[in-house]
Amino acid sequence: MKIKKIAAAMSGVVAVGLALASSPAVAAASAEALLRAKCLACHTETDAGFSRIADQRKSPEGWLMSIARMQIVHGLKITDEERRAVVKHLADTQGLAPSETEGSRYALERRLNTMEAFESEQFTQMCARCHSGARVLLQRRPASEWEHLVHFHLGQYPTAEFQAFGRDRDWLGIALKEVVPDLAGKLPLESEAWKAWQARAPQAVDGEWSLSGHMTGRGGFSGVMKVSAGKAQDLHALSFEGRWDDGKPMAGKGQALIYTGYEWRADLVVDGTPMRQVFALEDGVLRGRMFLRDHDEVGADVVASLQRDGNARVLAVHPAYLKAGDEGELRIVGSKLEGEVGLPQGVSLLETVRRSASEVVLRVRAEAAARGVHPVTVGAASGGSLAVYERIGELKVLPAYAVARIGGNGTPTAKVEARFDAEAWDAGPDGQPGTSDDFRIGVVPARWSVEPFDEVAVRDEDVKFAGLMDEASGVFVPGGAGPNPLRRMSANNVGNLKVVAEVQQGGTPVRGEGQLIVAPQRWNNPPIP
Amino acid sequence: MKNTMIGGALRRSARAAAVAACVAGSAMPAAAANESLALQPGSEYLMVANYPNNLNVVDVATASVYKTCTLPDAFGPGLTQISPDRRTAYILNNRFGTIYGIELDSCKVTFRAEMSLADNERAKSIASFTISADGKELYAVQNPTTINRDHYRVGEPRFVVYDSSAGLDARPVRTFPAPRQSTIMQAAPDGTLYLAGQNLYEVDVKTGEMKVKLPIRDWNRSTHAPLDVLYIWPVQTPQRDFTILYTTAEYQDDKQDMETAEFQYGYLNVNLLTGEAEAREFGPLTEIYFTGLRSPKDRNIIYGLLHRLTKYDIAEGKLLQAVELEHTYYTLLTNHDGSRLYLTGTFNDIAIYDADSLTKLGNVQLPGGDMSLGTGQVFVR
Repeated sequence: MKIKKIAAAMSGVVAVGLALASSPAVAAASAEALLRAKCLACHTETDAGFSRIADQRKSPEGWLMSIARMQIVHGLKITDEERRAVVKHLADTQGLAPSETEGSRYALERRLNTMEAFESEQFTQMCARCHSGARVLLQRRPASEWEHLVHFHLGQYPTAEFQAFGRDRDWLGIALKEVVPDLAGKLPLESEAWKAWQARAPQAVDGEWSLSGHMTGRGGFSGVMKVSAGKAQDLHALSFEGRWDDGKPMAGKGQALIYTGYEWRADLVVDGTPMRQVFALEDGVLRGRMFLRDHDEVGADVVASLQRDGNARVLAVHPAYLKAGDEGELRIVGSKLEGEVGLPQGVSLLETVRRSASEVVLRVRAEAAARGVHPVTVGAASGGSLAVYERIGELKVLPAYAVARIGGNGTPTAKVEARFDAEAWDAGPDGQPGTSDDFRIGVVPARWSVEPFDEVAVRDEDVKFAGLMDEASGVFVPGGAGPNPLRRMSANNVGNLKVVAEVQQGGTPVRGEGQLIVAPQRWNNPPIP
Repeated sequence: MKNTMIGGALRRSARAAAVAACVAGSAMPAAAANESLALQPGSEYLMVANYPNNLNVVDVATASVYKTCTLPDAFGPGLTQISPDRRTAYILNNRFGTIYGIELDSCKVTFRAEMSLADNERAKSIASFTISADGKELYAVQNPTTINRDHYRVGEPRFVVYDSSAGLDARPVRTFPAPRQSTIMQAAPDGTLYLAGQNLYEVDVKTGEMKVKLPIRDWNRSTHAPLDVLYIWPVQTPQRDFTILYTTAEYQDDKQDMETAEFQYGYLNVNLLTGEAEAREFGPLTEIYFTGLRSPKDRNIIYGLLHRLTKYDIAEGKLLQAVELEHTYYTLLTNHDGSRLYLTGTFNDIAIYDADSLTKLGNVQLPGGDMSLGTGQVFVR
């Protein structure tokens, strides 16, 4: 029962929330008053601020998790609106500089298939065996605070020192004597990057953004996102109009709140489906991930640039490849796309279908001689490329290793799908895949299937029980949760599958393979994994 | 740090762990109608706890539930110890936070000890408790954390001794320091206590003095990788063997290359009747077991249990037999003559197997849900 309550409470606070619009009066001054009213019961006010709180910097999601924990474990009573105000205030005044989140943004962007790899075996075993390493790397504390965190861990999770990679060593001793100084050195409270970031002028966001994205299992899309001032500081209204690469229109509306001067968090509804944007804003560019609010495994990589002087950029070419000898339509997406279109040698312009500052649509023909990957420019705007390929020599399944999770079937945890892209490569002039002259063509349509990964998967009939792969889209929907009496040992519908993509090249199949683990439910799913 | 075989064992067991299922959702309240049913002298019983708050007593002869006591507070882990007079079940429950004594004839709670000894303390016992051989004292290791106003502070673990007649507000009568990471313990008839953790310690319960009886972390063998021990099932065996399984890997040569090392299963064993201790490998590690059990009939036989029920010849270091199971079971128990094996833990049924042929003989369905990590005991009243 307790676990259910915690899960419900966490899901209620996952939204790094935008209801500020309903209460513009709640601002920094009142956030400080709130901190005083809500936190002084346990935290002590000192010259530096409130004890513990003043000694930490973290992401908006990091602050949200801390406050949610105070609610769940320590009985803090705070309304959703008050919590949003406190999170905003703390993320703004004790956040992370953009450079301090580099390499860890996948956790904020809910890319739960990320396979982390850290140089330090100790860090991996001491910290990243229970939660993502990114959760640690997205925090800054002095040694005394890292020490508090170690004590909290063992106090809250007493079995931590009995688990694998805990029971084989003096876990507490190592944590206090080795890990604390290490973290305090690498992730200190004070940093030049944070000082410099705080001194920086606010960034402009209102205006028209040209946006390009790719959603695995669905395809590319592009369009224009209009952003205007909202009803509170750092709050912005947004509307999006665009289309998928297959021509289907796409439109959405919502609001974005900017934390720490660059952490863009938007809630929007796209064609009836609630979605969320987790972007970083830097110099007229937004970059990050847009995903379904209620199924965050379904998401798109997104980049957008603001239409303004001095911000001429090509974000992408849709599609980003063309077969040598073929004609095709290309859509160059970017900002300030003014002036002459620079196409690669051997790619000839047949017709300019239409053009604007955010999109140039062309019909072109690629000659055989143009084989390779070439930059595409429009006037001063650069950044895009076009691959002209002869044949698909190799097919890669992306992600190469993915996790889907069983769910549903009358249980409170939803199924988590796995989605795949088939990435085609040209083997280059030498015709040999895997050599240095190979080049990436791009994501191509493929025929998808799953096979048993190994002998155990054959014996346990994983293909039959673990779920269904959609042949056309590469979307895998896992089986229902719970023991399955039809399976060997009444196992859950878990599985170990080979994911197979296949394309035909002149009558010859080209095949790519990946691995999919169909795992049990993720019982604990906080904002930062 | 030296490489251990944990990684390899984990990789091999990851799939197996995924298969382990829970049926806690199907938990129903226990029928209280039989709570005042007294146990019959001379009869053999198996007691085991399960969700939501049951302590079941199974009549071994008829392989049926004899009675079910309702336990107070929260469930977990439901580890039991039977008193020497076979009248009181001690159970660690309430999320590792409380030890209860339950009078089996009446289902009455006659003993209660909170692991936390102060209002601002949170203390847990990680399967670390038992009853003395004369039944007069109860031992536990507690891992305390002080909950301060704005921070936690982890305290030193303590070995505590209770008077088992202290009633419902039992406080320790003696307290000594204990090593971190202490787990299961068993008491010998001569009064010695054996405690597993970083090493297997021999504890003087009067002075708190601890001596290494068998090294675990300190067992530095150039031929083998350090041991890995995950063993939180304190089974009181009929022949009074205190048995703990470990995994290790034997190197091919002095290069100590884990890639070519042979993974092995072994046991640490203290014969509580004689004090004789031994540690040795008994077979190749081909699958993970949660519990192992030496046969009361033949000391050369050891059984293993998790996804299969297996039987090894210790001297030969050889797997003799393995049988597939209907689902995962955690904790292996035996009757007193060693003719039957009882598979418990997870789900809510006990599977009964013939100890010689490993033929399945039947199931006992328990009222309520998952036995989880709970450790039952077989005893003769």
